[in-house]
Amino acid sequence: MIDSAQPAADKNMLTGAADAGGAEAVDARDSGGARSSRFVGGVLLLVLAGMWVAGWLAGTSAEDMLSLTAWGVMLGGIIALGGIGLTLCYGVLKFPNFAHGEFLTLGAYVTYGMVLVLPQSNPIWRFSFGWELVVGLLLAAAVTAIVAIVIDRLLYRPLRRHQSPLVLLAMASLGMEFLLRGVVYLIWGSDFHFYYSGRSNPALYLPFGLRIQADQFFVFALALILVALLYWMLTRTRIGKAMRATADNPDLAQVRGINTEQVIAWTWSIGAGLAAIGGVMYGLASQMRPDMGFVLLLPLFAAVIMGGIGSAWGALVGSIIIGVAMQLTSAFLNPAYGPAVAFVLMVLVLLMRPQGLFAQR
Amino acid sequence: MPLLQVDAVTAGYGDTEILRAVSLRVEADEVVSIIGPNGAGKSTLMKTIFGLLHPRQGSIAFDGHDITHEAPHRIVRLGMCYVPQVANVFTTLTVEENLEMGAFPMGKVDLSDNKERVYAMFPKLRQRRRQLAGKMSGGERQMVAMGSALMMNPRLLLLDEPTAALSPKLVDEIFERIARINESGVGILMVEQNARQSLGMAHRGYVLANGENRHEGTGRDLLDDPNVGRLYLGG
Repeated sequence: MIDSAQPAADKNMLTGAADAGGAEAVDARDSGGARSSRFVGGVLLLVLAGMWVAGWLAGTSAEDMLSLTAWGVMLGGIIALGGIGLTLCYGVLKFPNFAHGEFLTLGAYVTYGMVLVLPQSNPIWRFSFGWELVVGLLLAAAVTAIVAIVIDRLLYRPLRRHQSPLVLLAMASLGMEFLLRGVVYLIWGSDFHFYYSGRSNPALYLPFGLRIQADQFFVFALALILVALLYWMLTRTRIGKAMRATADNPDLAQVRGINTEQVIAWTWSIGAGLAAIGGVMYGLASQMRPDMGFVLLLPLFAAVIMGGIGSAWGALVGSIIIGVAMQLTSAFLNPAYGPAVAFVLMVLVLLMRPQGLFAQR
Repeated sequence: MPLLQVDAVTAGYGDTEILRAVSLRVEADEVVSIIGPNGAGKSTLMKTIFGLLHPRQGSIAFDGHDITHEAPHRIVRLGMCYVPQVANVFTTLTVEENLEMGAFPMGKVDLSDNKERVYAMFPKLRQRRRQLAGKMSGGERQMVAMGSALMMNPRLLLLDEPTAALSPKLVDEIFERIARINESGVGILMVEQNARQSLGMAHRGYVLANGENRHEGTGRDLLDDPNVGRLYLGG
């Protein structure tokens, strides 16, 4: 019966064109008065172009504006590494983890500790760092992932078991943020640190007057590779699909026999591991400070909310837009306004499209 | 020994007692239908059997195992699957991914045979396997939900109002699929609003009212019982 009941309707639904039409119809229905992603993206490009012109009018050369743009893309890569974990945690656990910034700090400082201990090799290619940093980075990602799982077992899981309201989980994570930052102060002190103080990291001179450090290339390339790996994992592997399923409908995930506690542990370790790597990248690009994670937390949230909370691609795109905007505006504004710029852009997007750029619903 | 034996189960939420000493059984390969007015505790009974809610008194046994206090992901491994009434598909996953999640407890194994079996039962799903489940109609979603539950090769399938909010034509289709699933050797325990139709195809039925057993018998007997007809089948 089912196969023969409506053959005509079947054929229509099978064509790709009909499918795409259906998708747009659903999109329009769900979003109410909201603008399409494409429209909002266009407005954002115009705003970024306006920032370019403003910087140029303020007396910055076009070459320097180009370099600022490239640095912005790199900063976006760092924000994305933190933001993806934030958005994954929100998707699966449904609360905003205010302690996420500290995973970046922890990753940076654990790597710093490793670099001091490990034997130093010569710098790789034109980078400022040697193999010890790469090894330290991988170890720091693992350590941070374990810390995240331990925190979950000690703090968040008991709250989940008691079915605590989400506000309580969010507040608990805020407390954890201060606690972790205190630990970093306690172990490493309040001074700034560099992975290799005194080692020069000259910019490469590229066409169009572009000046980019080799390290900055490394940062962005690594961010791209990690995001691509994550995408592959979420769409192709069993645990990745289970993570999406749990984010979609946790009750049904349990009914289907998915061990949601196991999925949560995976989510923490991936989110914290990526954030740790992001922290190392930030430490490499500027310097390490005990409050670096907290300072990055604001642009992190702005990027994730702008991209559409729960969407990994949204976090990447939102991060790059915010990274570029923060760098471009530094041509005519005090860089201390960076987080404010991030939030103005976020509010702009939410006014046009409340669910964010790439929201699934 | 019956496949499922529910013995004098009392359960509820917080201070509210919803089920009072409810008993029922399902034999292997049997279709059993539970009917009763709204608020009788039919859905609560399904959730209690599947371990989403634990009984305060009484016991539940499945296939010789005591599952009174067992968690759903363990019950699934024993061979019982459950299709909730609402929100029973992962809307942001494709049809095929929904099926794969149905077999999650099996671990990293080749699922192509299981998928083939489900596609044979629901040919439409094969054509739509790359489509997001959230973009399908109510009847198609019900098929995805039932197909996902069949991925584990269960011996008992719990269906909570599988035909709710469907057009009469789709209701017939779903009942016909349920009969075919049963013929393939799967026991069925379902809760239904379409009381006449579900009793018509059930081997046995239970009438639940006010959280208590009220009537019990073969589907035919219940349909013919004037009391059941007057009170629960609308005359």
